[in-house]
Amino acid sequence: MIRDSQDVIVKTLSRLLVPFMVIYALYVIMHGHHSPGGGFQGGVILAAGFVLLVVSHGLEQTRKRLSEKAAGVLSSIGVFIYAGIGALCLILGGNYLDYGKLSKLLPVVPAEARSLGILGVEIGVALAVMAVMFTIFLVIFTVGEFPEDDRSEK
Amino acid sequence: MIDFFLILSVGMCVLVLFCLYRGTFGPGVLNRAAGISAIGTKTLIILLLMGVIYDRIDMFIDISMAYALLNFIGTVVLAKYIETTGEA
Amino acid sequence: MIVKDVICILFMLGSFFLFTTATLGLLRLPDFFTRLHATGKGDTLAALWSLAGLAVYHGFTLTSAKILFIAVFLFLAQPTATHAISRAAFRCKVQPWTLAKGGEK
Repeated sequence: MIRDSQDVIVKTLSRLLVPFMVIYALYVIMHGHHSPGGGFQGGVILAAGFVLLVVSHGLEQTRKRLSEKAAGVLSSIGVFIYAGIGALCLILGGNYLDYGKLSKLLPVVPAEARSLGILGVEIGVALAVMAVMFTIFLVIFTVGEFPEDDRSEK
Repeated sequence: MIDFFLILSVGMCVLVLFCLYRGTFGPGVLNRAAGISAIGTKTLIILLLMGVIYDRIDMFIDISMAYALLNFIGTVVLAKYIETTGEA
Repeated sequence: MIVKDVICILFMLGSFFLFTTATLGLLRLPDFFTRLHATGKGDTLAALWSLAGLAVYHGFTLTSAKILFIAVFLFLAQPTATHAISRAAFRCKVQPWTLAKGGEK
């Protein structure tokens, strides 16, 4: 499951389609407030792009681009952004996640500050969801296969 | 025009039921995979026709694009798993 | 206005006929490889015609451009999925149906 697929057609089309999927995931994240989408859906589509990369090019090539350690760090960064924006609103004198108070920091009216605040929270959620989905996929599909066995087979 | 799309949607739903027969009773897992891929393509067209009937096509285009992506990835991952474990 | 509607109806009827033929092939053909042939080609072309008909129905707007993006993606991705399944069947040593076996699989 973790070796590459040795198939010219699937490899070539994965190289064509993965950047397109990443751009589409970013579009779904950014347009969360006036079309179906938002943080969770965009994060899942972003993780699906990386899953396609694992299935077509093998685990070693994908580890050079996004290792398990980097996925763990990314999920923590996503939660930190979410909680950080909430705590920032608390420090500036409102309730938790009260985005209107962000207008004291940025030179905008409170209505636009609410829109920017929810956008920042969606970005944090998307990063966390992508990292967790990728980690779950790797843990399930490499069960029972240790790196030592792979090296000894080569 | 809307009535035409409505009749077409009902016809496509009947075709999905026929494909579900192959998805349930196909001898072996490969026949079932082919049936589910066909159901995914028909579902995409039904979603877009629903969008035209309810006059909110801007919402349904994003949903159908995401479903096309996920259908493709599901089929490729299932095919790789069957090839690795080696049972038909 | 009326030409747009007629072109859309022609595309949608052609796509419905192709979907029906592909489903009939999926049910009645005798072997896995022949069924994959029917659904891999017939479903893709029918979906492309249907999306082209809907794009013509909406005219020259952003919505039609997005529908054509879905069509291009489907044109690239669906034959790849069909190829992946058929390669998995070949590696699992599924025997093709031949007439020499007396017409029975």
